[in-house]
Amino acid sequence: MKHIVKIMALLVALSAIWISLLQTSVLPESYTWLLPLYSIVTLGCYGLLMVGIGLMRFPTCPQESLLLQEDIVEAKGFLKEKGVDIGSD
Amino acid sequence: MELADRAIGLLLSVISLSIFTYYTLWVIILPFVDSDHFVHKYFLPHEYAILIPVYAGVVLICLISMFVGYVMLKSKKKKA
Repeated sequence: MKHIVKIMALLVALSAIWISLLQTSVLPESYTWLLPLYSIVTLGCYGLLMVGIGLMRFPTCPQESLLLQEDIVEAKGFLKEKGVDIGSD
Repeated sequence: MELADRAIGLLLSVISLSIFTYYTLWVIILPFVDSDHFVHKYFLPHEYAILIPVYAGVVLICLISMFVGYVMLKSKKKKA
């Protein structure tokens, strides 16, 4: 229950900031009306950018892959001689 | 297959950066430019800057709820 209280408090604070920006006219009014939509689009773009960068920098570790294949073969042999059915061969 | 992964990652980053710069230019910078500058040709009318994200958001919510409904129906049919 405490987590949703924190989220609601954050939302209320952000909308209070937005309404105060509207009332005091620090920015021109047309900009202030578009500000929430712009921040949502920017957040989506930022998420997409992080996914793209993570995909580009994902390490593949080829030595670990070879060691893993050896481990799999060894485990299959061990289990087969103990009588456990592995299946997909 | 890491080359395919890196190509897709690069494509995603390029798409996101281009969407961000286009939208920023559209919403923030274009109202300051005189209305007979040639640059206005490359950008759609200002109403679309609101319509397109809202429409995309509505379509996204519809797709997600259709997917959730489909999965719920399939699980209920399998249990019955």
